[in-house]
Amino acid sequence: MSRMTLRLATLFLGLFLASGAWAQEQAFTNRSTELKDIGSPSGKTLASLPGDTPVKVIARSGAWTKVEANGQHGYVNVFHLRFPATVEKSSSSSNPLSGITGFFGGGRDQPKTTIATTGIRGLSPEDLKNASPDPAALAKAQGYRSDKGSAERFAKDGKLATVSVDYSEGGRR
Amino acid sequence: MKRILFATLLFACASANAQFDFGRALDLGKKVMQAQEGMKDLTQDEEIALGEQLTAGFLGASPLHPDANLQRYVNRVGKWLALHSGRPDLPWTFAVIDTETINAFAMPGGNVIISSGLLKRLSSESELAGVLAHEIAHVVKKHQVQAIQSAAKGDLAASIGKDLAGDAIARRGGGALAQGAKTWASGMAADLLKDGFFLRPLDRSMEYEADQLGVVIATRAGYDPYGLVGALEMLAQYKGGGDAASVFSTHPPAPDRLGELEKFLPTVERYSGQPQLEGRFKQVVGNAK
Repeated sequence: MSRMTLRLATLFLGLFLASGAWAQEQAFTNRSTELKDIGSPSGKTLASLPGDTPVKVIARSGAWTKVEANGQHGYVNVFHLRFPATVEKSSSSSNPLSGITGFFGGGRDQPKTTIATTGIRGLSPEDLKNASPDPAALAKAQGYRSDKGSAERFAKDGKLATVSVDYSEGGRR
Repeated sequence: MKRILFATLLFACASANAQFDFGRALDLGKKVMQAQEGMKDLTQDEEIALGEQLTAGFLGASPLHPDANLQRYVNRVGKWLALHSGRPDLPWTFAVIDTETINAFAMPGGNVIISSGLLKRLSSESELAGVLAHEIAHVVKKHQVQAIQSAAKGDLAASIGKDLAGDAIARRGGGALAQGAKTWASGMAADLLKDGFFLRPLDRSMEYEADQLGVVIATRAGYDPYGLVGALEMLAQYKGGGDAASVFSTHPPAPDRLGELEKFLPTVERYSGQPQLEGRFKQVVGNAK
């Protein structure tokens, strides 16, 4: 890979990561909760937030969500937020990162392709009911299967390590 | 069994347009019972054949996403998860379909379909793992098979009962299991797709069970257990409009699912430091063409 190609790839990835992943989302606290300085119950409490406090979500991250509340940045328990449901605008995006990158690239306050609304350009019930089986597409999909060794190497690359968790830990058999 | 027969007879009696024909009603009742019997002892080979035929039908409705790297990536995540499930040896296939509809579907026998519309709205590999593990859990628990059994004795009895029964009989005909199973699966899949079976929501208890088992599978595989929660948070922001194929029509509302998971997650809280793998996810999904 040439240096120029590498720079362009890095620039593209940087733009991609910067543009949408951190797009701010409106949310509200769904109960009285605390704004913590770190994502942990043992973190320092920066502020007490009553129920229905508006917050801006900065990043989803596991059990804690990074937010801005009343001008302060901090972390709120992921289950202590509710999101007002919205319908995305119907429009074809002119964003160069549209298509598969549209969600990340477009941000939540920019036009995006239609989803989950009447008249979507997606999979309709009629499409499903009237479909003719496509065995060639099935064979192609099966050609992308991963074997055990490949999956294990992939997990190792991602530093994913098996842990022993019994389903009964959740109170189920 | 008797209750089914009775219900079928009742159905025939209650049909406003049908002239009551006791013999015909009895015949329909027998066929529905045969259909149920046909599903009850579904072998693994038959389950796989049915899942493959359903997947072929799905792919006839919505094409595969053209990006091979994206397909391989999703298959690696899915296979790694499936290795931590109760059915690691199924021929697991994960297919990304190219549609803006937001949903994922589990077919019997280890076939999972996820839409690019959902995929591109996720933020990390652990969120993808949460979604795929939920679908894997449906397969492990044979929820779709159970739903087909319920359909055979429920409101679909009149429309597909006779076909199911015919298929069940054909499956056993001739004693040639492999060919019989394939013919049966093909006919069954066609009937189920035609009847919009996969647009019908599963029982809520099945969805909640799949959420919880999915969290366990993802956690076992080394992912942050909160991946599914993140995906549901994202879904909670969208209204389910008139798209009957979307997750909003086929699953309980995301806030309800989050409410159930809130009771369950403390049991795996100690694994919350496990990887989320945002970078790897964004690189693959962001570069998909």
